[in-house]
Amino acid sequence: MTDAADVYIEGVAIELSWADRTRSLTELIFTTVSKAVDDAGRGYEGIDSVVLAAHDLVDGRSLSSMVTAPAAGAYLRDEVRYSDDGAGAFAAAVARIEADEAERSIVAAWGRASEHDVEEFSRALFDRIFLAPLGLEELHVSALNAQKWRIDGGDASHVETAQARRATAAKANPRALHAGGKRSTPAYPLASDHLPLWADVVAAVVISKRPSGVRIKGLGLSSEPSWLGDRGVAKAPALKRAAQRALSEAQIGVDEIELFEIDGMTLYDEAIALEAIGLAATGEGMRSLAHDPRCNPSGGSMAGYGVPAMGLARIVEATLQLRGAAGPVQQGRPRTAMASGQSVTAAQTQTVVVLEAA
Amino acid sequence: MELVTIEGKWDFNYTYFAGESASRFFHELRENQRIMGTRCTKCEKLLVPARAYCDVCMSVTDEWVEVGPEGTLETFTIITTAFPGLPKPPIVMAYVTLDGADTALINLVHGMDLSDIEKAAQKLNALPRVRVEFIDEPKGRITDFSFKLI
Repeated sequence: MTDAADVYIEGVAIELSWADRTRSLTELIFTTVSKAVDDAGRGYEGIDSVVLAAHDLVDGRSLSSMVTAPAAGAYLRDEVRYSDDGAGAFAAAVARIEADEAERSIVAAWGRASEHDVEEFSRALFDRIFLAPLGLEELHVSALNAQKWRIDGGDASHVETAQARRATAAKANPRALHAGGKRSTPAYPLASDHLPLWADVVAAVVISKRPSGVRIKGLGLSSEPSWLGDRGVAKAPALKRAAQRALSEAQIGVDEIELFEIDGMTLYDEAIALEAIGLAATGEGMRSLAHDPRCNPSGGSMAGYGVPAMGLARIVEATLQLRGAAGPVQQGRPRTAMASGQSVTAAQTQTVVVLEAA
Repeated sequence: MELVTIEGKWDFNYTYFAGESASRFFHELRENQRIMGTRCTKCEKLLVPARAYCDVCMSVTDEWVEVGPEGTLETFTIITTAFPGLPKPPIVMAYVTLDGADTALINLVHGMDLSDIEKAAQKLNALPRVRVEFIDEPKGRITDFSFKLI
C-alpha cells in the first residue's frame, strides 16, 4: 500500500465542448493543459513527467498519444501512456512522485465523443468471441445492472427526484456542457435523461510534493473479472474494494467524507456506486443521490460525459470544491472529498481517490 | 473561411484465435447442442462459458461439465436499437444462470410478446425459469442459442 500523504494537487482545469470545429483535438488538449499549468501558478518549472489517459479507439487515431502527447506537454519529459480512465492515470502519476521517479507531473485525459459514433465505438470494445456477436454496448451493461438493482429491491421511489437534482446541478455547473451533446437510445429500464450526455471532455491536473491547496490522502484501485457473467451484478465489487483501500490509506471513514464526486455512466450507475463506496446502504443509493447534497454536486453524467476523461474530471470537480472554487455548485467548504473513475469498458476497473483541503 | 473536417473510417481485418477451450465450447454447441462449463481446480466453481482458467483464483480448470438446458433469469434489459445479425428490435438480453453453473451467461431471450414493454418487463421481473433453444443449423458461435421462457 502506498503513502500518498505527501503529494498535492497544484492546478486543475477542465473543458467540456461539443463539435467545436474551430479547434482540433490537440488544440483542445493544449488549451486545457495550459490552463491547469497556469492554475498551478509556476509555469512549466520543475515539470518532469506527463501521464496521459487516452484511448486510440476513442480518438480514432492509432497510437493516438504519439499525436496528442506533445499537446499535453510531453516533449523531452518522462511520459507514461495509460490506455484507460484518467483517475487511473492520476494514480500512476502519484505513484511516480511517491517513488521519487518524478517531481512535478501533468496528468491529462480526454475523449471527444463528437468525432465518432459512440454506439459503434462501444460495441467495438467488447470481447470479440463471446460478446461482440450479440451487439452488446456499454449502456446495455448499465441497463442490466440497473434492472438487477431494481429486482433486488433497490428503492426506485427516488429516481425522479435524483434525476431532477442531477439536472438542476448540471444546469448550474458552469463547467458542464450547456449546448450540443448527444444522448444514445435508452435500453429498458433506463430513460433518456438517465443516460450520459456525450461530450468532448479534456481534464488536466498538475501534482507535486510541494505543499499546495489539496492533499492526496488515499488511493485505491481494483478490478473485476473480464467475464460479465462472473461479476457481482449491481454490486460494483471493484469499486467497493478500491474505496476500502483508499479510505484505509487515508485513515478516514466514509461518513467523515464531506463531498463525493463518484463516476457512473448513468443515473443508476451513480446510485449503485454510492452503495459500493459504503455511503449508502444496499438499495438506498438512489435516495442519497436524490437528497444528499454531498453527492455529485457537479451533476454527474448529466453534466457531460466523455471517456476516458471522467475519473480525472471528477478529481477536478472535487478539488474545486475543496478550494471553495466550484462556483454556483459549491457545497459549503468541505475539508475532505472522494472522487472515483471507472474504466472505459463496462466499469471493469475502478480508481478511488480521497482528497483533503491542505 | 471554411473550417475543414476530414472523414475517417477504420476497417481492418483481424483473425482472433479462440483457443482450445473456447473452440471445444463452440464445437459442443454445433455438434451436440449443449452448453459446457469447466470447473476451477481451486474454488471448484463451474464456470460458463467453459474456459481454460479461473481468473479469480488464477488456477487452471480441468473437469468439463454440461449445464442446463434450463436455468434462471437473473436480470435483463430490453433493447430497441437494431444490430446486424440479430432479430428486429425490441429484443430482450439477459443474464441467465444455467442449472449447475456458478456464473451467468449473457444472451438473448426469444419468444416473448414485446408489444407492451412494461408488461413484458413485469413478467421478466419474476425471474422466470428459461430453457436454452438452439437454432436449426448451429454454426459453432455464441449466437447458436438463445433462451426461452418455460
